[in-house]
Amino acid sequence: MSSLAFATITELKQKLANKELSSRELLESSIARFNRYNQELGAALEVFDVESILAASTTTQGLLAAIPGIIKDNICIKNRIASCASKILAMYRATYDATAITRLKEQGALLVGRANMDEFAMGSSNEYSAYYPAKNPWDLSRVPGGSSGGSIVSVAAGLVPWALGSETGGSVRLPAAYCGIVGLKPTYGLVSRYGLIAYASSLDQIGIATRTVHDNALVLSVIAGHDVKDSSSAATVQKDYTLGLDGKLPTGLRIGLIDTMLHAEGMDPEIQHAVEQTQAVFTGLGAHVKRIQLKTLDNATAAYFIISRAEAASNLARFDGVRYGYRNKDAQTLNQMYEETRHDGFGFNVRTRILVGNYVLSVGHAGDFYQNAKKVQAMIRQEIADIFSEVDVLLAPVTAGPAFKLGECMENPLQMDLTDYFTGFVNLAGIPAISIPCGFTSTNLPIGFQLIGKHFAEDLLFKVAHAYEQQTPWHTKHPIGLE
Amino acid sequence: MAKITRDEVLKIAAMSKIAIKEDEIAIISKQLEDVLTYAERVRVVANVQQTEQLYKNVNVMRDDVIVPTDYKPIIEQAPLSIDNYFVVPKILETE
Repeated sequence: MSSLAFATITELKQKLANKELSSRELLESSIARFNRYNQELGAALEVFDVESILAASTTTQGLLAAIPGIIKDNICIKNRIASCASKILAMYRATYDATAITRLKEQGALLVGRANMDEFAMGSSNEYSAYYPAKNPWDLSRVPGGSSGGSIVSVAAGLVPWALGSETGGSVRLPAAYCGIVGLKPTYGLVSRYGLIAYASSLDQIGIATRTVHDNALVLSVIAGHDVKDSSSAATVQKDYTLGLDGKLPTGLRIGLIDTMLHAEGMDPEIQHAVEQTQAVFTGLGAHVKRIQLKTLDNATAAYFIISRAEAASNLARFDGVRYGYRNKDAQTLNQMYEETRHDGFGFNVRTRILVGNYVLSVGHAGDFYQNAKKVQAMIRQEIADIFSEVDVLLAPVTAGPAFKLGECMENPLQMDLTDYFTGFVNLAGIPAISIPCGFTSTNLPIGFQLIGKHFAEDLLFKVAHAYEQQTPWHTKHPIGLE
Repeated sequence: MAKITRDEVLKIAAMSKIAIKEDEIAIISKQLEDVLTYAERVRVVANVQQTEQLYKNVNVMRDDVIVPTDYKPIIEQAPLSIDNYFVVPKILETE
């Protein structure tokens, strides 16, 4: 059944429609691949049993009917554990479906399991999972990137054709680039956050991992659109994002190549070269590409750091051992119970971020740090808005280098935080971006670039990304040994 | 760069309701010092230019409609409960 492993959703739907394949066969082939590869890849924290997956499905019709996918472990699926890859939620069972999950179920999607991640989505390598790290299918000694590592690995290794992840500062685009697949971070407010366990609420957004642009657009068509249960959800209607994917660019498309990033400190020449090569493809398709500078970029990492930690400290206050999750049973008093529960339940990285966040919120004149970071965020938004009067989309690298070795950044968390430089400003600006494969290093590690658009310009991003994809072979390459 | 004292670390930990072990204090204080570097950078930039609040958040209102919710699956998640109450260790600490 290996021909199914790397088939697109469109191809699978065709096989199902032609009765070449039953929904049970497709599901079983996906589960069989998890059984075969998950131990070495660490992609899933749990793979559900076939009967319970089919029982949870409410319809056999819809845009994703019978198509299996995996869900990052911070998105609630009713009656399933949602642990955020943390010990503190190890046994927590969601009592409701996230809105994105409700919509997937309504369109017939089969949810096969819970994807590994950095604990509470805090990390860029998936090494901060409280359970086990996910590994890069192109080289098992390397990280897949994070925090949505398990979601991305599941798709890159051909275990499922799609996955949901989440982004706060690049957690879908970064691993997608490291693993050679397509990763979308939608506009803030396009996909409901209801049922997404919060990290930094003003930045969090559910994202999508697939192997092709068309598949990504299809999944977004299912989950996007206004939701009354999320007050930050935008007043948009659901629509078909696959329309208009014809392999062509809009006439006179203006692309701004972010030169500041291409010449960032520590930029790997192979990445720089691969991203610059995309320019020729776009020019060949009729686009006008010009280089642009982003002056506020150098301050984005600092602003992102402060805002994300402050909001995390606030959001993670709810894990107190009282209403759900782990509790330290030895504590004699309430205060001691809180302190020991949170010490034992959270990993060191998460505890550190909470402490840093509370420090940010409390030191000096309370809120000064956060307010200053919000001002810098406003400057970033202003500069981006100005640039979008000159260009239609931005083009940039996603990372400074290919996937790094497991353990390489664990000693130096600030080094890992530098990965945010290429991605975090997009989250601060609230705009959409999509990471697309654009080649390989001489050591056969995937390279990605990102296209960045104005608020709610997902249609345009998909159209441009799809046109690029149709001109290049990268989406047809899969990790060796997983066929 | 400013140094973060041991007492400051303990104060933040107490405020965060997170127990802190002796061998963790030095690492945490280093990380808090890194924050100051970022904070200083952001302060300088923010003071250079007075920016208007570009995307001012607006309250999103809705009708307050009561939706019935079954509390049982929720209370079942509690580490300790009696009837429909969450049970916690004693709140008042005595010497």
